[in-house]
Amino acid sequence: MKLYDYILSPSCYKVRLMASLTGVTLDLRPVDFHPGAEHRSAAMLALNPAGCIPILEDGDLLLTESAAMLAYLAAKAAPAWLAGEKPEEAARVQQWLAFSSRLTASLGGARLHEMLLRPGDIAVLQRQGIAALRELEAGLVEQGVRGMRFLASERPTIADIACFPYVALAPDGGVALDPYPAIRLWSRALRSLDGFIEMPGIHRLHELKPEPPIPTVEV
Amino acid sequence: MLSDTTGSWTPVALSQDLPAGTVIPAYIVSGSIALWRSDSGRIAASADRCPHRGMRLSHGFVRGEAISCIYHGWSYAQSGHCLRIPAHPGLKPPETIRVATYVVEEADGVIWVAAGAPGSMPPGLDGFVPFRSLTVHAARAAIEDAAGATAGPEGLVDITSGAGNIRLLLSAQDGDRTLVHVLLVGEADAATRISASRTVESLRRTAEDRQEKAAAQ
Amino acid sequence: MTDQAMTMQAMIDEWYPVGLLSQLQPGGRKTALMGAPIEVACDAEGHARVTAADGRVLPVRARYGHVWSSLGAPQKELFPIPEADQPGRRFVDVGVVRVRCSPLRTVENFLDIAHFPFVHTDILGAEPHTEVQNYKVEIREDVDEVWATQVKFYQPQASKSASGGITTEYMYRVPAPTCSVLYKTCPPRPDEWDVITLFVQPLSEDLCDVWPWMALFDDETSMTDLIHFQQTIFLQDRSILENQIPRRLPLDPGMEIPTRADLTSIAYRRWLKRHDYTYGAQLVAQ
Repeated sequence: MKLYDYILSPSCYKVRLMASLTGVTLDLRPVDFHPGAEHRSAAMLALNPAGCIPILEDGDLLLTESAAMLAYLAAKAAPAWLAGEKPEEAARVQQWLAFSSRLTASLGGARLHEMLLRPGDIAVLQRQGIAALRELEAGLVEQGVRGMRFLASERPTIADIACFPYVALAPDGGVALDPYPAIRLWSRALRSLDGFIEMPGIHRLHELKPEPPIPTVEV
Repeated sequence: MLSDTTGSWTPVALSQDLPAGTVIPAYIVSGSIALWRSDSGRIAASADRCPHRGMRLSHGFVRGEAISCIYHGWSYAQSGHCLRIPAHPGLKPPETIRVATYVVEEADGVIWVAAGAPGSMPPGLDGFVPFRSLTVHAARAAIEDAAGATAGPEGLVDITSGAGNIRLLLSAQDGDRTLVHVLLVGEADAATRISASRTVESLRRTAEDRQEKAAAQ
Repeated sequence: MTDQAMTMQAMIDEWYPVGLLSQLQPGGRKTALMGAPIEVACDAEGHARVTAADGRVLPVRARYGHVWSSLGAPQKELFPIPEADQPGRRFVDVGVVRVRCSPLRTVENFLDIAHFPFVHTDILGAEPHTEVQNYKVEIREDVDEVWATQVKFYQPQASKSASGGITTEYMYRVPAPTCSVLYKTCPPRPDEWDVITLFVQPLSEDLCDVWPWMALFDDETSMTDLIHFQQTIFLQDRSILENQIPRRLPLDPGMEIPTRADLTSIAYRRWLKRHDYTYGAQLVAQ
């Protein structure tokens, strides 16, 4: 399975993260998104006329939407990451998968503007980003009332992975995460999962490893 | 904020939002703080700034009974004293390296931090149970206006809605922002709690709308 | 003179990076230098041309993959990097990254190794290998540069072309207030040093555009991989840099506590103070 990948792209990271959590090995093909704009080269446009990444290739299957890639990885390697039988759960997975594109547009747009100097109305992007974070926070509070720690279920699903990267990287675009306690707990639960991997801007949870012993020498 | 002549208590967070082994940012009148709970459950508050290179300690990590800075791993005890400088593993950090700390009290599921040395304990909740906290981009007046009620001296606003009695505990933040802790009468069922959450989301929209209109005048 | 003009004074005659040579456009790109709007374009012959808002043509150098300019009248030529002319090296334009912090904080972070295990975990450092051994720091009076040498640190993955952990040696050089050059163990060529630079464009005192650039001996790794490795490292630093308080670099010694591991930063701060390079610095504790 070949992923056309950019290390700083939260959408590409969704796919790398999902693959790591489900034990799938990806063949990574780095794309010089910045500064080279390789995603708009003729060769890349031939794969995805929309001129964006990630792109996932597996045999003659060619995917250009990250939500579809998450569904594919889960279906192939770890169906527990998909929605279960319950209609509400299936609906919630779809709800948050669709919602994740609003995170991309708002928080992702703010991040590209603030970090890589891409054009955009930063005040509007940040305001929309805050609105989306509030919606996610409220959704997680309600899930908590239902006894569920994750967006669609008591276990993590592809919906959580679709939403997590742009949320975790919101500060890159000048949108603080300080005001969202439910998002903080959810984010921590995801970051503590076996197989979780970081991307630049999301640091390691060092507390998951014990502190190395302190040498006894005094100076 | 609840003040007496010697200091004041600020309700900075709900207990449920600070599990053991975590750190979160919080705000009191003197500025940003790092609020953390050790692995054994002891809670502490310090200035949100590592004295080494100024990094926010609330971005750090908790191991055992210490908080560590994410930048260079310098760790601090509850007392604020530096315990460890990983770049010099053999060095016992001098007593002079420390972060300012604040008095913390946890009662009825609310975490209170003191500015100064208040002579009294933080107020009780009269049987109300904390539900959730949210930040409103509006000052107290706009929230009172939206709620149709006035806050008492302890920063409490009572509202009646389809979701039953909701009590809001207000805490002023920097700028024109207010941290609102939502308290419900104990034993509220799931439907009531979800409805209360949505009621308060609506109240926030109204309050922010009023704030914006007031600012535009 | 305003406070702003005062703090700009000593640094105004320095050279700063303002764009990539490979991305010059006839239409120009609007940017800023120390609070002043400027435009970076290329003329009909393809030469870089930098103009101020009032139409004034600013001095220009085209070097190390970047366009360099100055709001003032530089007394010194742009600092030399002899390795930039050495045959066999590959030159890597890493591309711009904007950071909401002082340009001086960005350079200081670049000079620091003690954060590797915590910020660049499993790439440039890892617990329990956190100790910083003694190293040498000096201000070289003949060239007026800060130098740190014999800096050694354990790295689990020293570079894209390194597999497994090694003790890597570094030399750090600060030839200009917002630029640093790092010389680093070069795994395929033990007699040479890889060159990794951090060129910082001060947009204002607490906002900067950072242009990393490299001159490496590495025939194996793809150019894109080299770019991504360095972008990974810098983006890990960015989330630190945007959360340091205060945003400007405090030159008041009471404000922050250094240790022996911070000798390079101590020398850098001393050198900045000596030259009144205070644009982006905070002089008095606030």
